[in-house]
Amino acid sequence: MEEQAAYLSQSIDRILAGAGSLLPELLLAFFFLVLVTLDLFKSHTLKRLLPWLALTCFFSTLVVQILGGYTSGGVQFLNLLRSDGLARYTGILFSLAGIFTVLLSLQNRRLENLKEGRGEYYGLLLMLVLGLNLMAKSVNLLMVFLAIEVVSIASYILTLTLKNEKRAVEAGLKYVLYGTLSAGVMLYGMSFFYGLTGSLDYTLASFWQALLEASPLMVTLAAILIFAGFLFKISAAPFHFWAPDVYQGAPMPVVALFSTGPKMAGIIVILRFVAAFADPTLAGSFDDILLFLGIAALATLAVGNLTALWQRTPRRLMAFSSVSHAGFLLMALLAFGSNYTTSVLFYMSVLLFMNFGLFLYLQLAEDEWQVQTLEDFRGLGFKSPYAGVLALLFLLSLTGLPPLAGFMGKLLVFSNVWEAYTLSGQELLLALLVVGILLTGVALFYYIKIPYYLFLKRNQTAENLVISLSNKLLLGLFALPLLVLFFKPDLLLHWIERLLAQTL
Amino acid sequence: MDFILSGLIFTPLLAALFVLLLPIRLQKPMKAVALAGTLVQLALAVWLYLRFDGAAPANGHTGYQFVQKLDWISFSLGSLGRFQIEYFVGVDGVSISMVLLTGIVGVIGVISSWTITRNVKGYFLLYLLLMTSVMGCFLALDFFLFYLFFEFMLLPMYFLIGIWGGPKREYAALKFFIYTLVGSLFILIVMIGLYTSVIDPQATANQLNLQGMATDQNSIRQVQQMLQQGVLSSADLVRTFNIPAMMEPANFIPGSLLHVLSGVTLFDLPIRFVAFLLVFAGFLIKVPSVPVHTWLPDAHVEAPTPISVLLAAILLKVGGYGLIRIVYPIFPDAGAYFSILVGGLGVLSIIYGALCALAMNDLKKLIAYSSVSHMGFVLLGVASLTAEGVNGAIYMMFSHGIISAMLFLVVGVIYDRAHDRMILNFRGLAKRMPAYTAFVVVAFFASLGLPGFSGFIAELLVLLGSFGAPEATGMLPRWLAVVAVFGILLAAAYYLWALQRMFFGKYWIFPELREKANLSDLDFREYLMLVPLAILALLFGIFPHLLLDKIGVAVTGFTELVLLNGQEQLQLVLSSIIP
Repeated sequence: MEEQAAYLSQSIDRILAGAGSLLPELLLAFFFLVLVTLDLFKSHTLKRLLPWLALTCFFSTLVVQILGGYTSGGVQFLNLLRSDGLARYTGILFSLAGIFTVLLSLQNRRLENLKEGRGEYYGLLLMLVLGLNLMAKSVNLLMVFLAIEVVSIASYILTLTLKNEKRAVEAGLKYVLYGTLSAGVMLYGMSFFYGLTGSLDYTLASFWQALLEASPLMVTLAAILIFAGFLFKISAAPFHFWAPDVYQGAPMPVVALFSTGPKMAGIIVILRFVAAFADPTLAGSFDDILLFLGIAALATLAVGNLTALWQRTPRRLMAFSSVSHAGFLLMALLAFGSNYTTSVLFYMSVLLFMNFGLFLYLQLAEDEWQVQTLEDFRGLGFKSPYAGVLALLFLLSLTGLPPLAGFMGKLLVFSNVWEAYTLSGQELLLALLVVGILLTGVALFYYIKIPYYLFLKRNQTAENLVISLSNKLLLGLFALPLLVLFFKPDLLLHWIERLLAQTL
Repeated sequence: MDFILSGLIFTPLLAALFVLLLPIRLQKPMKAVALAGTLVQLALAVWLYLRFDGAAPANGHTGYQFVQKLDWISFSLGSLGRFQIEYFVGVDGVSISMVLLTGIVGVIGVISSWTITRNVKGYFLLYLLLMTSVMGCFLALDFFLFYLFFEFMLLPMYFLIGIWGGPKREYAALKFFIYTLVGSLFILIVMIGLYTSVIDPQATANQLNLQGMATDQNSIRQVQQMLQQGVLSSADLVRTFNIPAMMEPANFIPGSLLHVLSGVTLFDLPIRFVAFLLVFAGFLIKVPSVPVHTWLPDAHVEAPTPISVLLAAILLKVGGYGLIRIVYPIFPDAGAYFSILVGGLGVLSIIYGALCALAMNDLKKLIAYSSVSHMGFVLLGVASLTAEGVNGAIYMMFSHGIISAMLFLVVGVIYDRAHDRMILNFRGLAKRMPAYTAFVVVAFFASLGLPGFSGFIAELLVLLGSFGAPEATGMLPRWLAVVAVFGILLAAAYYLWALQRMFFGKYWIFPELREKANLSDLDFREYLMLVPLAILALLFGIFPHLLLDKIGVAVTGFTELVLLNGQEQLQLVLSSIIP
């Protein structure tokens, strides 16, 4: 009895000691509770305040993570969560994604007109970002699973925010079905790992030692099962089937969040997991698993870019575009030997701005001008030149053309892959490089469709379209970093380097 | 003085900002601002041309004048050293001719655009952006900077063709965009390969903080030696996009894929050869040469007149310029190895382009194909690697710039009046439009290479070079030059035949056109464009030394660099792949 008590108090001590490093997560959880409580009251003024409460929360986590300092204790939380520079930087990106989502939601007509569930909507956003933060920090398979599930469950409900629309219901159902299936598969794979090693902490040396002794076939199989869950989260092939339906059915701000937040968090999970495979002491032992990831990256690039060519609606087009970006990020992860983490983080930062920018434009087009298909963009560029030109910027940045930051992101990724190929001589890397670059040409073909209708086709209706000042400002806010990060990428790269140097 | 090149590049951008700030209804002031911007650019170009010292020694990786070099992006790659991108511009004999040409054609293009009425603001914004990026392309000496300008040319051009073009403009614009983008992606692959392989010796020396160095030259040499011996740790290397640094084999990191001794092969070719083929293909699309020329006729036919002028006169030149500035000096080994391919494609373009031109009924298409044919001479001249040949190639680019501008303008004249330009729909135009016919005759004769016009000098030099090449450099078989001569003959055939069908004989015009056609002779604006171009074509035809004096030294430096390094490196590359 006394032993147990001692153990208990010891555990509590350890939890309390590590809790400080979870300040952003604690903030998110606290604001979530406050928000849910306030949502219980019927007062309309109170309900109006809820988005601003969410915004405050995201701002505070943003500031806390930019300032840092809360991790100074140098403790990690029960060997489950690691609050290193990587987690801190991605946390900043998640907070930004949260802020942008709230800002987009405030401009979204359908969300603003929502009779009920607005409070839940913002509460779930907080919950989702909390899950993202946990994903980026997890270094234990079980914790990874829990974090992914937090994100997934929030995502399922957010997809269904507009429950009166048939599309939304269909999307939500498909999402849940695919999601639970892949979660189950992932859990199955994790149980294999546990069986083989007796541990779920993949940072331990003993974990890898045990894997080296196990049957290679089993290890590869288990890893592939786990990757099913990870690839689902970042919508990589062959687990991307949910993306087009969800992108078609969910509210635009949620789609924008899905195309950035969970994708980034998923990439960080894979990055942490795979970095161990590439450890020089284990060199060569897990080549099959890396080969699988390489093929998945190739398939994702090919499927994303080639399927996007046939899409008729902007939402589905962006779904496949986000698949193709998942491919680029996966490819970036495999460039071992180069400093690929910096490039991955840079690419994700750029992706955040260009995706939110473009989705804001799509939201405007849908809400104000009833654009449903690509052809509906006909001549709109001349009706509202400011928004049209900025949409062009976002699309070109997504394609990866200079002078926009999307080009810098791709350049860094390609250089890393080239560097890694020089070091290792693996043909797969060369294939990834060549396919990645050539598919950029294909990407232009579908991204340019929107500007093509915007500017090259003419529209006879005479009325001019007016955009509210707040939307104009927001569009500008998303576009500015794209230009700045092209001309001075080193500003951000230096900062990322400095954060990454902080290991714990 | 240091800022003169930046002034050249960014003057149109400044003008574009002014245009952006003007309210939409002030169309006249917008045109005036655009004209002023290009006029200032022309003035700077002329000043630069006059001040450029054509006798100063130059050998490819040195000898740039009016150089401006600023740090732009610098980033540490941890254990892999640093990479740096510089704002590095400079001019040498090769680029000075292109700078002058860009200045001249830019002004002519604005005058030609005076009749644009739809979306004037957008038009001139894009036009000025295009001028900035073209000029930047010709002056950039940092590969990244070059690539930035190179890619940025696509976008304004896409919209200029796609919004202000003819009936099939969307198709033509997209085709242009996709073709050129694929080309530039090839260049991108090689650019990445090069910058991960090449160091900037000066910056690396600074990084190492070498002690006891008497001069910069010594420290550079020492760094290069240390690099090749493999005693430099990779964390100290400064990787660079600097084009002149890429021209020196001593700057390549041992063990990197593009090093001459890497011994890596791809599809049974040394990887340096593959890189050469990729970047060559990228510029070939821009030139354009057969078989990747098919975007050009479409783009020309659909583009509005001023944009056709810009496209033919300066955008195509970026392709030829890229061959001379980037492809050959950086991969001289592969250049020597593949010279027959380059020259062969050149001759193929000359003959095939001319035959296509002969078959065209649309006057603008005829001229588009004649461009393909003439740009073939550029390839042939470069491939010969003789001083005459390369001088001729550059002369051809300059002269074709002037003459093709004239040609597209005269097509524009008839199209403005009759809204049609099919050769068979007109006859005896000389009777109704004598002054116009005179300029058409001048343009056609200049283009087919009549002595006294600049086109003659260019073709003569290229042919001299390629005839002499078997002895002088051992590059091309003589029959290629012999076949190329037929191209001149065919040019005479298609021009004279078109002239005879459209302009001579009894006046007649296709009945359906009669109502809307108003065949008045040239007006003042058209004289303003055609007279200076005709004078320039004559001037550079009668006094070739005006240009040759400026480009000669740089060309000799180029051929020596490519030939010397080429033979030496070719041996090394071939020896390294045999185990």
